[in-house]
Amino acid sequence: MKRSLHSAILWSVALNGDGDGGWGKMSDSPSLMLDVRAVHKRFGSLEVLRGVDLQVKKGETLVLIGPSGSGKSTLLRCINHLEKIDAGHIYIDGKLLGYREVNGRLIEEPEARVARVRATIGIVFQRFNLFPHLTTLGNVIEAPIHVRGLPRQRAVEEGRRVLEKVGLADKMNAYPSQLSGGQQQRVAIARALAMQPKLMLFDEPTSALDPELVGEVLGVMRELAAEGMTMVAVTHEMGFAREAADRMVLMDGGQILEDGPPRQFFEAPQHERTRTFLSKIL
Amino acid sequence: MDVFLSITFDGGAVREFFFNGVILRGVRMTLQVTVLSMFLGAFLGIILAVMRVSHSRILSGFSGFYVWFIRGTPVLIQLLVVYNGIPQMVGSREFTLFLTPFRAALITFSLNEAAYMAEIVRAGIQAIEPGQMDAAKSLGMPNLQAMRRVILPQALRVVIPPTGNEFIAMLKNTSIAFVAGLVELTTAARLIYSVNFKTMELLVVASIWYLIMTTAFSVLQAEVEARMAIVERERVLPLSTRVLRALGGSRER
Repeated sequence: MKRSLHSAILWSVALNGDGDGGWGKMSDSPSLMLDVRAVHKRFGSLEVLRGVDLQVKKGETLVLIGPSGSGKSTLLRCINHLEKIDAGHIYIDGKLLGYREVNGRLIEEPEARVARVRATIGIVFQRFNLFPHLTTLGNVIEAPIHVRGLPRQRAVEEGRRVLEKVGLADKMNAYPSQLSGGQQQRVAIARALAMQPKLMLFDEPTSALDPELVGEVLGVMRELAAEGMTMVAVTHEMGFAREAADRMVLMDGGQILEDGPPRQFFEAPQHERTRTFLSKIL
Repeated sequence: MDVFLSITFDGGAVREFFFNGVILRGVRMTLQVTVLSMFLGAFLGIILAVMRVSHSRILSGFSGFYVWFIRGTPVLIQLLVVYNGIPQMVGSREFTLFLTPFRAALITFSLNEAAYMAEIVRAGIQAIEPGQMDAAKSLGMPNLQAMRRVILPQALRVVIPPTGNEFIAMLKNTSIAFVAGLVELTTAARLIYSVNFKTMELLVVASIWYLIMTTAFSVLQAEVEARMAIVERERVLPLSTRVLRALGGSRER
């Protein structure tokens, strides 16, 4: 309790008291795509997230870094409700995710509702997680047809468009196992984009790739950022962060330590911890 | 000839009874019970497996109990329960008439097989990496849809070889349906040798038929595996295609 109060104060201070610090049922600011407030998550006795507050504006690209085990991936999985949270609130585009608030108490939403919100959030995994039994096009049109209910023909048109966008229109009929890692990851991005998400999450999208394949994936991400997609990317590709990120955040020990624009983040970090971490990865 | 060393085996009887009407009807009965029971058993087994891995304690608990119970009791007793025990308990003439030997065997073998298939399918589901479920859910699929569209199509491929095993085991185990008076292949052979005393000859006839059927199923299994292989490098051309090619057939891919 004490901690969450503390972070609430810190948070309203950080926002310069622009009246956005309330704890209402809806996230108050219409310009926020993602609003994470005092989120706690534990796995057994291990507390992985210890009061995380994070706001992402619409159209913003946020790069999240931090040492392994700092809770970055868990935070992304919580944002998508692939993990349940133990305390706190997560708002997607102003709506509470995964729970309904009744008289100040959080009640878990039925699965179908959660699924509907998830459909609006794209996530790209470190290990691609493409469906191996479907072709590239099959992967991309699966959810548009069976979740959004698009007629097959429209889904195919749409699928072709997103595959063109990631430069893989010529691989439509290939199976994932016939593609390189970089190509697979681009298909995974296309698969997420085909759902027309409001928010894209990237969980170390290039860490499982051979070095020479990293560029093609970052290229697609850079393009997305430039088009105004709201993105939260966990990545240690600092070149990408410098170029494409509007904001950078450092997590450590389940909390957010440093938060600022890339220039300030790299050149004048506030925390010693940020400096030592950057010196290790740069 | 020395009495103690005299061996009589009538090869002619084997040939004579190989296509005997009673034997052929037995073969057909064995095939019918096997195929239908496997089909129903696999269907129920998939449902039980999905229940087993579900988050619901009630569904998962029921499935676990079912598997424990069925696997823990002999199928012979299960058959006797279905064919003799339950009709006695129900005591209705219509029900007893309804429960023909064929239906009793079908019900018993299906319910029995469901328990084994449930375990096989569960293993198949759990062999699929968790990332697949994450990906399916992240695209907005509810649990059951993710299971149906993403997990099961992959799991069922893993499950084909052990299912082939089950199929072949079932083919032979149907012979215990004699306790319900079902005239399948083994019983057909026994019926004949109890009259003509050509015991060994009839047992050989039945065995050859079993071997023919199990061989046919093995070939069928290989065919199904080849057709369903996902990964290109694992993809062997289906047997039928290979045979056609060997025969100079023109079907190129």
